[in-house]
Order: sequence, then structure tokens, then C-alpha cells
Amino acid sequence: MEAAIKDQLVSIEKPELVAPPDWEPVIMGILCNWCSYAGSDLTGTSRIQYPPNIRIIRVPCSSRVDPWFLIKSLQTTADGVLVSGCHPGDCHYISGNYFARRRFLVTKKLLNFVGFHENRIQFSWVSAAEGPKFAKVVNKVTEDIKKLGPLHLYKKENFEKK
Amino acid sequence: MNYTNQIQEIAAKLFAEGKIDVFVGYRMNGFDDNQVPVLITGPQDVSKLVFTDKSVFNLVNYLKTDHTRKKRVGLVVKGCDSRALNLMLTEKQVKRENLYVVGICCEGVVDDAGQKMQNCLECIVPEAVVYDELLGTAGKAETRAYKVNVDIAALAEKPLTERAAYFEEVFENCIRCNACRHSCPLCYCAKCCIDQETAALYNGANTTSAAFHALMTWSLHLAGRCVDCRNCEKACPSHLPLHLLHKQNESVIYENFQEHLAGVIPDDRGAFYKYSLKDPDDFIM
Repeated sequence: MEAAIKDQLVSIEKPELVAPPDWEPVIMGILCNWCSYAGSDLTGTSRIQYPPNIRIIRVPCSSRVDPWFLIKSLQTTADGVLVSGCHPGDCHYISGNYFARRRFLVTKKLLNFVGFHENRIQFSWVSAAEGPKFAKVVNKVTEDIKKLGPLHLYKKENFEKK
Repeated sequence: MNYTNQIQEIAAKLFAEGKIDVFVGYRMNGFDDNQVPVLITGPQDVSKLVFTDKSVFNLVNYLKTDHTRKKRVGLVVKGCDSRALNLMLTEKQVKRENLYVVGICCEGVVDDAGQKMQNCLECIVPEAVVYDELLGTAGKAETRAYKVNVDIAALAEKPLTERAAYFEEVFENCIRCNACRHSCPLCYCAKCCIDQETAALYNGANTTSAAFHALMTWSLHLAGRCVDCRNCEKACPSHLPLHLLHKQNESVIYENFQEHLAGVIPDDRGAFYKYSLKDPDDFIM
């Protein structure tokens, strides 16, 4: 798949060459039920604007996030992934996010190792009271991924036999 | 390194005493000087057994077959194999009382070309950690410090786009035969989650994208458990550098979480089954 590699090469250096002018990134947002999902709710009820590029999935805890979710998202529609959970020490299930933290580091390093830019896989701790922080995080992630351009690496549709 | 006579004696003794039903060892493959695994069920075949530095395969893999399940098994293990056995015992896949383990103080095995395998050059646990009987003498411990794999270090220095191009080629050459999974002693699930994908029809197809999905998921399931025996690489018909994925995970885990390798400590389930408050947090916003 030479074409896919070329696209990736171009999209990192010159986003305007591959990205159509009206292109908007798709970001998979995987949020824990007890902190980050409530935090994103607070962002909305406080009427703080944040980019609509994020598609939110609610999970019981950040340790519910299998690294497979990230692989699958990047392989199908997403241009980037944001995983968010409770601050260390605040986990509803006491230690879930500590276990998750280890997995996130290994997953991020491995995906970076096989050729994904590190800004495409991002993590954050957002508590239920941090509505403005959630907006800030989504803004930053969206900006980062807009700079990188569309993701072509290992996308399913690039490899479908017609 | 030649323990052929000792292993034949031990196997003959075990069969004579009725302690085992099956003995898993190596035999010559019959046409050149390479070896293949063999399962022996009686004293009449004991003379087939050999053990030299050509005994490359990890025999712990055969503990998950029907030939050995619920039977009393004699088994030869090298350093890396014994770590896999330790993990299988911890994860309750085999019962210790059903096993008679012949541990080897390994001096490194060689590949087809006669060169010492790369993982043996870097090995820091050459002696068996689980055994009933230990053959050979333990080497000196001071020369063994963990080093990051040379291939990983070389690749990590390259720019991102070059790494992406390199791995695209790796995944492109995968034929999805799943030999890596079947040859891995720690991949013992009867139903693999990679096969249970809802889009099984698609992901069964041999595309680069499907290979990426399968190999990445597989390597992350083995993160913190892989013992670097390289059974997967020996089994791979496309000669993919599968150790890159595993060694990358291993180096991240070794640097950040724990100062020992998988399977060295009994009843240690691996890095993902415990946590520390001091784990690195700087990559999280």
C-alpha cells in the first residue's frame, strides 16, 4: 500500500495537500461514567463551547478501556482517540485508573512505535467538577489532530478489495 | 551443551517408576541436524530423545494439547521456557503435581545458520526457574544486565514516517495463518477474541489492515507476559520480525513498572495485574 504511506508522509508535513478544505477530524472520546462523562455533561450545562468533532462513548471506568478499543477506532473511522477518566485516587472503583494508566502507557508507546503520531492517542484525567478543563482538553486534541491531517495508516477502506 | 544421555536416563527412569504418561522432548528430524519436538508415551522410544544447542523450540507449548492435558507429563525446559511454564502455573493452566520438569542451565541455542539466536545473546535468565531436576551448572550472574533490544533501539531512532513505512511492510507480509498464536505457550484461550470480531468475514480476509488489527491485539494481550522464547518467529512462514512488538512492550514495562522479567517470580501475574502510585503520569493531560 504505497499510496497510504505517501498520504501519511504528506499528511504529517503538509496537511493542506491531502486534507480537503472542509475536512473535519473524527475523534473517538472514551469517557469514564463517574468523572469525565459527568464533567463533559457539566461543560454542556455550563454552556461552554467545545468542538463537535469528538464522538463520546461512555464506559463504566477507564480500566474498562481495552487497548483493542484504540486499535479498532484508529483502524476504522477515527483520526485520533481521547481516553479520559478520574484523577488518580478518585476512582469510583478505588484502583481502576491505576491499572488503566499502565496499559495506556504501553499502548501509546506501541502505537507510536509502529508509526502513529503520539498526538493521535491522548489521555486525560477530568473530574466531574472540571467542565472548563474538559472543553480545554477537547480543544487541544482537536487542534493537534487538525494539524496532523486525516489518518490513512491501516484504514480498513484503503485495503478493501473491489 | 549436550544433555542427551542424562535426559534419556531420566526419561527411562520415570517410565520405569510409572511417574509419567508422556515425556515431551526433542528428537532429530531425520534428514538434517535440526530437531523437532517429540511426545514419547513409553520406554521403547526413549532412545529417540536428544538435547543439544539445536533444541530451539519451547516445549511448554505442548502442555495445552490434548496429548498432555490431564496426564502426568515429563518435560524439558530451558530458561525462557521455564518462565513460560511459571506463568502457566500462575494462571492455573497446568497442575504442578502432574509435571516432572527437567530444567536446563541453558548456554544459548543456535538457528539454522549455526549462529547463536539474538534472544540468547541478550538473555538474562538462562537457568530454569521451575524444575524438579536441574542439569548443568549455573553461570555467573554479574554479566547479566537488562539491555534494550538492538532492533528496538535502532528503530526508535528513525523518524516516524520511516517506522510507519517499515511496519506497513511487516503487516503487509502477514498471511494471517495464526501460526504465531498457536505456537505461543501463553496463547491458550480455546476461543480467541481476535476470531470473535463481529466483522469476522472481513477480518478473516488477508489484508494489511486486518493483520495490523490481529497482531497488535495479540501483542498487547502478551504485554507483560511474553518471555521472549521466539516460538512465534520460528513458526512464522513469512519470517516476520514479531519480536519487535513484544520487545517494545517489554522494554516499556521494564523501564517504567518493574525491574524483573515476566515469569521469573512465582505467582507473579505480570505488570498489568498490579499497580504503583509512582507509575509515570506525565503523558496524561
